[in-house]
Amino acid sequence: MNTKLRVSEISKIYPGCVANDEISLEFGSGKIYALLGENGAGKSTLVKILSGVVRPDKGEVFLNDKSIKLNSPLDAKKNNIGMVFQHFNLFETLSVFENLSIDSDKKNEDLRLSVNNILKKYNFKIDLDIPVLNLSAGQKQKVEIIRCLIRNPKVLIMDEPTSVLTEQETEDLFVSLKQFSDEGILIIYITHKLKEVLSLCDEVAVMRKGKVVSVSKTKEEKIETLANKMVGENLSTIKKKIKNFKYSEEILKISNLNFRSDDPYETNLINLNFSLKKGECLGIAGISGNGQSELFQILSGEIITDYTSIKFRDKEISKLNPRERREYLMAFSPEDRISQAAVPELKIYENVALNNFKSSNFFEKGLVNEKKIKEHSKKILSNFSVNTDNVEMKSQFLSGGNLQKLIIGRELITSPELLVCFNPTWGLDVGAINYIHETLININEQGKSSILISTDNDELLKLSDRICVIYKGKLSKIMYVNEVTPEKLGILMGGGSID
Amino acid sequence: MIKIEKRNDVSPSIYFLTPILAIFLTLFGGGIIFYALGFNPLEALKFFFITPISDLYGFSELLVKATPLCLIAIGLSFCFKSNNWNIGAEGQLIFGGIVGGGVALLFYGHDGFYVLPIIVLSGAIGGMIFAMIPAVLKTYLNTNEILVSLMLVYVAKLLLDYLVVGPWSNPEGFNFPETRQFSESARMPILFDGLRIHAGIFITLITVFLSWLILYKTYLGFQIKVSGLSLKTAKYAGYKGKTMIIIVFMISGACAGLAGVGEITGPIGQLHRNISPDYGFTAIIVAFLGRLNPVGIIFASLIVALTYLGAETAQIFLQVPKYTGQVFQGMILFFLLGSDYLLFFKIKFLGLKKNEL
Repeated sequence: MNTKLRVSEISKIYPGCVANDEISLEFGSGKIYALLGENGAGKSTLVKILSGVVRPDKGEVFLNDKSIKLNSPLDAKKNNIGMVFQHFNLFETLSVFENLSIDSDKKNEDLRLSVNNILKKYNFKIDLDIPVLNLSAGQKQKVEIIRCLIRNPKVLIMDEPTSVLTEQETEDLFVSLKQFSDEGILIIYITHKLKEVLSLCDEVAVMRKGKVVSVSKTKEEKIETLANKMVGENLSTIKKKIKNFKYSEEILKISNLNFRSDDPYETNLINLNFSLKKGECLGIAGISGNGQSELFQILSGEIITDYTSIKFRDKEISKLNPRERREYLMAFSPEDRISQAAVPELKIYENVALNNFKSSNFFEKGLVNEKKIKEHSKKILSNFSVNTDNVEMKSQFLSGGNLQKLIIGRELITSPELLVCFNPTWGLDVGAINYIHETLININEQGKSSILISTDNDELLKLSDRICVIYKGKLSKIMYVNEVTPEKLGILMGGGSID
Repeated sequence: MIKIEKRNDVSPSIYFLTPILAIFLTLFGGGIIFYALGFNPLEALKFFFITPISDLYGFSELLVKATPLCLIAIGLSFCFKSNNWNIGAEGQLIFGGIVGGGVALLFYGHDGFYVLPIIVLSGAIGGMIFAMIPAVLKTYLNTNEILVSLMLVYVAKLLLDYLVVGPWSNPEGFNFPETRQFSESARMPILFDGLRIHAGIFITLITVFLSWLILYKTYLGFQIKVSGLSLKTAKYAGYKGKTMIIIVFMISGACAGLAGVGEITGPIGQLHRNISPDYGFTAIIVAFLGRLNPVGIIFASLIVALTYLGAETAQIFLQVPKYTGQVFQGMILFFLLGSDYLLFFKIKFLGLKKNEL
């Protein structure tokens, strides 16, 4: 089976942004192609065009030299183009088999037979008759892949498939993808992770601002060369110095942190104990949904739990709300920038006023001191290089990176002793990630402490002094960063044990 | 195929202009209804919207009706802005009336400048306490404030019924379900001889000003705004959510209570079964028509008050039931919600054009 896929001069213009600008690419079966680019580079638009979700303003798609019309996802299926999205489209309460049968026109018995063949052939271990909600993220992804395989795809498109997987699951996925490729399926792999491109793909197309800036063989590329192509400038990489905290002052001590939730979608936390030294960064790794969000909210004071002791510089703060904790010089940067850390409908200066610490005098005698808030906001915008100086602008017009800079700036401009942040670079482009990382390393160097809850292992290894893993609400032992490897983290994140 | 998408940005001027569009659509819709009933639509609309305010007395009546509507709607705007759905203002109005009326009866025959302020204050406190019931139940027992506040309306109505029929009924009233007429000292001063417009309008205007101050210039107002936009953010910022729920309900209840006491000490002068023609419910329309903005609410209350008057005129001149007023109020809300939907969402018709929009 020899497949050739060609896109020719594809353009797609959204109001205010050219998502795809005359894109021409050629793919042939037997190889794995990477489509690499920052957020907003136009990868997703191109992929949506190929899967029939979005129609291009201009340009054509050729499959085996025949022009094809992709007006709907159904057309893509008819042309044997399969697509696995970053977010799964599965019904959680239905069984695996029921999910597969929804969009299949085969008879149930035939379908079961072909699914079982696929399971056997690729050595997937999934029980077809249990509800999808009992599956791990990796297994759910396999269900999505099976859904594509049933239709004997010629082209398989994977959109950022590893963002929810553990190290081991990622390796399994790569093995499967290579197997598919050997069987003649053309694979297009979308990512912004450079390491994956180098270890998995044969060819790489780099996109930037809606254009293809380079097409090359991965053999000829290195992480640095790809990164520079992706960002369009030379990035300086910063490294953290390894320090010894043995004799440093203990700043935070958590004992007997327990949390039971009535909400079935929340995770219970079981007996967490840890402490943090001055100037130290403690990384907490884990696959999302293992209790990170609950832990963050308990640290910030959004959730108050009984019997837990949180001592911050020897003061018991476990019963204080977030505003009161800020008075003790703690700061918090939540995962959800858009609906929690900031309100998009509010102006920049109003979002700054959310962090109303006592000495700010934002609200004197209960009245709003707009002048003071605006002055303070201007300082944040310039100190944290947010790309605007208009404090009257609504925050919804800031890009993700700039909004995150604003939030981190708002939290850090008070020089807090402790910053708790949760996935601070999630969904940001390389430039912004670099800036945030630099900032987080800087605060540690100034003797301020931080807790970094993150699902990005590279980030954790780069920024943390000590790392532990949260799995189903329990914390692993805490390790020094120099004794941690991605493999060890992967085992702990999947619920295994080491040593 | 039809696709509905959220619009990214809505300009503020259009946001405040759509209520006016809704009013014009209501006039248009009303014209069609009158036409269907066999009237000349323009003439009927003239009877409905122009005749009632063509003389001084009519204009004073407009203000008499707008006074409680505006006051209640201002109070409700505190609740609605912070995502608390108090729809029991009618009950809070009645309960404020009951408490204020009780005090007025207590002072029966007393003279003195202090009588009226005490009655007004007790009416406000009555409404406030009644509004705290859904608030406290919501914060401590997680009940739904929509249901509780709505059901309490009927509690208040039945209580009023019981009082005016039973213990508080006028001893010389031949068993009519009403109390004595309050003493002169317990009545709102009339502003002009021969007109019913009373000093309650000043209470309303002062409340409007104070509300504007609180909502836009104070920390409390800022907290209300943030909580209304995102409860998660309010929690993250450390605002005391429970206290705030209770405060907005108290403000809203006090306003409704004031409106109630303003009615019984103003135009009515006693307690009876029907002290409010559903002002508490109609004020919900006023609040939204005025975009929860104090100045907007003033205009909205005048327009909605006109539907009350128009209905009465129409009953006299066109022999249609006075419930036409409610038809118009319903249409205003309907067209407002409809135009808001088109304001915040756009509808795309796909498949009609070859290239996607």
